[in-house]
Amino acid sequence: MTTIPSNLWSIPLIVAIPLLAAIVVNALYDKRAIRYISIISALLTLGISIISPYGYHWFTGHPAFDPTTFTFTFDPGIPGFRLSLEFFFGPMQQIMIVISSLILVFCVIMATSGLTKHQGPYLAMIFLLFASAAIIIMVNDLYHLWIAVEIGSLIVVGVVVGSGTSISHKAALKYAYFSAICGSGLAIALALLLGITGFPNVSDVVRVINIFGVGGMETILYISFGFFILSWMYAGGLAPLHPLKSEVYGASYPHATAVLQAQSKLMLVAIGIIMLRIFGTLPFVKEVMIFLSIITMMLGVVIALLQIDFRWIIAYLIISHSGLVTLGIALGTKEGIIGGIFQAVNDIIYMSVLLFCCEALYYFGGATSTRGSFGIAKKSPWLCAAVLLGAFAASGIPPFNGFQSEIILIQASINAGFPEIAVIILMVSVTTLIALLRAIYRIFLKPPENEVAANAQIPKSITIGTWLFIILTIIIGVYPDIALRFIVPFVEGGFLP
Amino acid sequence: MNELRGKRGILAVIALLIIGIGFLSSLFELAGNVRPGVSQIYNSLAHLVAPNNIATWVYDWRGYDTLLETAVIYVGAVVSAMVIGRGVVQMKSCPQEPPAQSKPLEFHIETLTVILKYLGLPAAILLFSYGIMVVTASSTSGGGGFQCGVIMTAAYLLAAIFYGKNNPIRFGKRFIIGIGAAGLGGYTLLGLPGFLTTGFWQYNIGADVWGIAPSIMRFIFGEPFRLSLVLKEGVFFSSPGIIPLINVAEAFNVIGAIGLIYFAFIYGWQEE
Repeated sequence: MTTIPSNLWSIPLIVAIPLLAAIVVNALYDKRAIRYISIISALLTLGISIISPYGYHWFTGHPAFDPTTFTFTFDPGIPGFRLSLEFFFGPMQQIMIVISSLILVFCVIMATSGLTKHQGPYLAMIFLLFASAAIIIMVNDLYHLWIAVEIGSLIVVGVVVGSGTSISHKAALKYAYFSAICGSGLAIALALLLGITGFPNVSDVVRVINIFGVGGMETILYISFGFFILSWMYAGGLAPLHPLKSEVYGASYPHATAVLQAQSKLMLVAIGIIMLRIFGTLPFVKEVMIFLSIITMMLGVVIALLQIDFRWIIAYLIISHSGLVTLGIALGTKEGIIGGIFQAVNDIIYMSVLLFCCEALYYFGGATSTRGSFGIAKKSPWLCAAVLLGAFAASGIPPFNGFQSEIILIQASINAGFPEIAVIILMVSVTTLIALLRAIYRIFLKPPENEVAANAQIPKSITIGTWLFIILTIIIGVYPDIALRFIVPFVEGGFLP
Repeated sequence: MNELRGKRGILAVIALLIIGIGFLSSLFELAGNVRPGVSQIYNSLAHLVAPNNIATWVYDWRGYDTLLETAVIYVGAVVSAMVIGRGVVQMKSCPQEPPAQSKPLEFHIETLTVILKYLGLPAAILLFSYGIMVVTASSTSGGGGFQCGVIMTAAYLLAAIFYGKNNPIRFGKRFIIGIGAAGLGGYTLLGLPGFLTTGFWQYNIGADVWGIAPSIMRFIFGEPFRLSLVLKEGVFFSSPGIIPLINVAEAFNVIGAIGLIYFAFIYGWQEE
């Protein structure tokens, strides 16, 4: 018997509250109440994810079938086949969801104060984006994973389209077009796994493969892995599908990009771990994942160097750092997976700092081009300080959080017998710093050559959000155990209790 | 799709070929080797809920999946309307290019034949009635909320095609958005009774297969939908519980979602 509940109260609320908030704000469309409903809903989600205990939730309340005794049980500790759709909320899920909901809170406040009045549908998409990310990180069911990826892709399109420019329309429609291929690919992957094993629950699939094997159908397992990889690349923005996601990041408002990149990181972690659990013992699987990660890291950072707009530099750096996340998971060692998940947490935090600073630039008339020089540092020294600190954190400089996760990834690469990967990680860090400093110098530090709004009123929500996340980067950088104590038990415990 | 011309196009074709061959070869290899797995357990229990196994699968065992799939339809409609201008936002502090606004379609109903002109309305009314029949019999037949929603919005579209913008079943945009919100919101909230009484979200307290719901809740959500199956071996009773209610919510959601897409494309979207 175990004390872990199969009906943990918080899991449905973490999903249902954003879903209901989305329905209500979409229906209200342009009413003032949207602001209050959105902020309260986001704060509720944050509060629930902070105070929630750990456990499972078996949606629709059907028990598991124990094949050894031919009985049904509501005890998740007994390894029975799950009849219900299973979600798990553990320490790793907690830290991911708490940080994502913190971003959601600030995103909602920034959007409701800074955007024109027809905000209902746009905010609905933001809430659903968060809900899809929370589902993906908690779900232990292949079919539901697919639905979450499918709806997640559609919501990404909505968030980008909501930005209303021709660039955003183009990026959104391109992303939607490819979702038809990659979403279907994931559906095929899970259909094949369902065919071989007979179960949609990930733990059941793993158990059936380990105990009964696949009856000589390893080829199908590889083909399923191929489709999984396709959706991993698409959902997380890995190379060679990175242009789709980078356009999405660059064409959205920065506050929305903060939620978008958090969703991508959660997808990368969740799908990556599921792939490791199901296909991890097959030859060449980890090698393929490592190869994709390295290509993504390098391509992202090199293209970031070529960009001439701060938004697009951040967009490509998000892509590049996604490769760091997946690299850790792809190494497949405990140290590597811990480093990968830790990198995801840190990445979400420091990229949010940079994106909030970018949002602040909109109050100077959208001075994000590196072709101009705006002298923002004189007009807003705190903003300049914040963006510099964010750049240091993103570049893995101590004492910020990026340093702690990158050092774990470097050690994990060396211990796994890949010292050359450690060199690539260092190269990515240095190049990140160069790409960011080049833009920061032009926009913030260089004497002004272009006119911008002299007395720009930056909302307090941006200032508070930016500095709160900077404090987080320093705290985690100095005391990494604050974050690692959520991640280490998850990895060392075999992902699920 | 200029991006897919030249080398990229060739690469795309090769990639699609590889994917297609991989998928088809998997299907051939799987033929006759599919493991039944969880479906055996589902089928052995399905009769405890509704005579229609599909309804039980879709709205009970995998009812939460179906909620998210329902949300996909809703999101699809909201996003489609956003593409043509509904709810597009801009930063107050930073002027941008004006958002795209779609124009309404131009209708030419003068060329309609007399038969279509006079039979169109009865046909639309019949379709509406058929939709209601489909949703109310969802526990015992192959129909359901989705089919009802599609049939009813087909009637809406038919009326718009036959009679133009001023057709007899012209729904307003607030009505369409409201009915969609009621549908998806209703489906979501149908998880609450099970959650509050058993701790399991969307547990079917009317059917109460595992005997964990309070008797009063089983009575409220089970008795109104009780079914009797008369066989020569005797009369058997079961209740689909919350499944008929979910079907109605699903129908509302689909009417709202597809109706919004039709509305946005027929009448265009101009912000007041």
